[in-house]
Amino acid sequence: MKEIQTTLRECLLRSEKPSRYVGGEVNAPVFREGAFSFCMCFPEVYEVGMSNLGTKIVAASMERAGFAVDWCFAPWPDFGGALRSHGLPLCSLYGRKPLREFDMVGFSLGFELSYTNVLYMLDLAGIPLLRRERGDAYPIIACGGPCCINPAPLAAFFDLFFIGDGEEADAEVGRLYLACKDREEFLRRAAEVKGVYVPAYPRSRVERAYVADLDKAIYPESFIVPNCEAVHDRAVIEVMRGCYRGCRFCQAGFLYRPVRTRSVETLTKQAQSLIETTGYDELSLNSLSTGDYPHLRELLRSLKERLPKDVSVALPSLRVDSFDSEFAQDSRKSSLTFAPEAGTQRLRDVINKDITLEEILKAANSAFDLGYFSVKLYFMFGLPTETDEDLLGIADIAQRISDLYYAKKRAKSLRISISASTFIPKPFTPFQWERQASEEEVRHKIEVLRRALRLRGVTLSWNDYFTSQLEACLARGDERMGDVILEAYRRGCKFDSWMEQLDAESWRAAFAAAGVQPSSYTRAFAEDEVLPWDFVDIGVNKAFFLREKQKAYRAESTGGCLDGCKRCGLQKICPKVNL
Amino acid sequence: MPEGEFVILFRYSKRDGAEFISHLDLLRHIDRTLRRAHIAVKKSEAVNRHPRIYLSAPVGVGVVSNAEYCLIDAEFEGDFQAAFNAHAPLGVRCLAWTRTDKKVNVAGDVTACEYRVEGLAPFDAAAILSMRELVLTDKRGRTKDVRPSVLGLEVREDGVWMKLSAGETTLRPDVLGEYLAARFGGSVAFVEKTAAFGLEAYGV
Repeated sequence: MKEIQTTLRECLLRSEKPSRYVGGEVNAPVFREGAFSFCMCFPEVYEVGMSNLGTKIVAASMERAGFAVDWCFAPWPDFGGALRSHGLPLCSLYGRKPLREFDMVGFSLGFELSYTNVLYMLDLAGIPLLRRERGDAYPIIACGGPCCINPAPLAAFFDLFFIGDGEEADAEVGRLYLACKDREEFLRRAAEVKGVYVPAYPRSRVERAYVADLDKAIYPESFIVPNCEAVHDRAVIEVMRGCYRGCRFCQAGFLYRPVRTRSVETLTKQAQSLIETTGYDELSLNSLSTGDYPHLRELLRSLKERLPKDVSVALPSLRVDSFDSEFAQDSRKSSLTFAPEAGTQRLRDVINKDITLEEILKAANSAFDLGYFSVKLYFMFGLPTETDEDLLGIADIAQRISDLYYAKKRAKSLRISISASTFIPKPFTPFQWERQASEEEVRHKIEVLRRALRLRGVTLSWNDYFTSQLEACLARGDERMGDVILEAYRRGCKFDSWMEQLDAESWRAAFAAAGVQPSSYTRAFAEDEVLPWDFVDIGVNKAFFLREKQKAYRAESTGGCLDGCKRCGLQKICPKVNL
Repeated sequence: MPEGEFVILFRYSKRDGAEFISHLDLLRHIDRTLRRAHIAVKKSEAVNRHPRIYLSAPVGVGVVSNAEYCLIDAEFEGDFQAAFNAHAPLGVRCLAWTRTDKKVNVAGDVTACEYRVEGLAPFDAAAILSMRELVLTDKRGRTKDVRPSVLGLEVREDGVWMKLSAGETTLRPDVLGEYLAARFGGSVAFVEKTAAFGLEAYGV
């Protein structure tokens, strides 16, 4: 950007963090008009959006196809308000092209609480919110990402849904756009593409797109280095996609099945390229469960040999049983995080979280001996079959960790922080039929746990109930939920995942105005009921989910894919089965 | 920085959007620019070892500048300017550089800065300069005589030029600019820092 116009300058000076909106970053794309223009949108602020990997992959695949690609993030209300008061439309970050002039505007939806931000961005861009109100003069409004797995609540707004892995269908749809004479022909033909759902041309079954060979799949060679510190301000490689475990509450664990891995050679090359082009001094090895990556030791050795010495390697998502003192030797670290999710072995069997208290204690012990003195524990309230005894089990775990710590003489006192969130039964999990605990029930659970946790150095925190209830409604909703979203946006709701922005009263009023009860989505669904997302086929059988649900009620764990195939329905394409 | 060891001192710009990057973020950018350019900066001896990069005092967010200074503890043979500029973000450009073994304090040695402010209505600069005192009230209601900090003031065709003291007593251009706007009209639409005084001896 050579010249920032005076009005835009005024808007920038009125905003809290103007560097979010100016572009010019290292590795920023140079926007050049092309036959097909695509704006990659992320309905969250710059710092959050810049940390997202999926959008980087989609943008890279669109660029490789030769399309004109630009970016846009949700402006914080200060800047959004300034744009509005000056009558400036929302533009892309690099080419400063109004969003409404693109051929396709694609939103990445990773979190249900960002839905109103999509409407906020469309509104700022001067694009009608409802798809039936948009004609040929407007871009195709598309979305992708894990939330699209239940398109129903968003079907009134989006012309097109990309379901499944972004590498596959996105660029194909761009090429199709160029081959069609008008919007109608394009949408009709796009509806036939695997991994694409077009609400105007609904089908009885929509299969998700799926990358068979992750090692050969496109991956960005460089990242845009954000102007202001991003939430995850570091280089990231995706070591594998999917998770072997099969925790029954975890949607991602089923959506990204089967597990596909990248080779040590590919990952090392990608890491070298990212570190070289970004100047980051930290590399994160991402996946749902990096400790399960089969060649982890070999990869760490290879990275150590090939990366500059002062680059630190972060291993998030290490499961408790893969915590290994060898991976944890970082003198700056002092805090250890575990997610046992449930307080008793019985309940951990119910959710198929195959870790034991002994494993937690063993891992904690090695960490304490390395000098760690702070432990974070994540749990859920309201899991199916949960009783007060399971909550007391959480206090017991804290007590056992504390006893273990103080069994030896330690320099510092131990800090344990326990975070509990309300369980949200998500689509495409064995718990998709479950009800969500009511506010009263959750209040009782908090009280039981709070009373039991009379331990020095232990803090308990829990998240806002309304947020969890709203997330459940948005995740499990049908088309009527779309009316609620629209109504909520009209009442000023946006940035709902930010507690200081969330306006629960307006959401409640929106539910009432749309004539929709939140309980119609947080209730238990019958097993023979047609679920709003049933027409989406992720490859995992509904029969498998039902089997898993029944086993959960018998407190039987299933284990994961590593100890033998559980016949989830993906055997034909699973690299593990077909070894 | 101990005397006798060579360091790199350079002047750089903040423009084309980079003027909106905060001071702390800019420090991170310069660190990463040097890493990309393979210019190895020595690290501090503290527990959390940070690269020895020192920036001149922060300039207000939105102020375009050609007179920012940075000192880095690094050994580098070759064209530093070309290496830095090949890897820097848009608008952050090394304009001049030198190697020195003198004890430089990029923040403390700057005694005054010159700014050009656009958007203010014309006024009689000589009359302002002839005032004995110029008492301004800040947002918290505190009053201060800033007259000693106004070292120069001139109304030119391309804006109001002001030379203001920096270092121990710093006067911000927008503060004086808003006073002038309130008294004579116009607004502080655009501020450019054109020069910093105090580091002339290094020739950058």
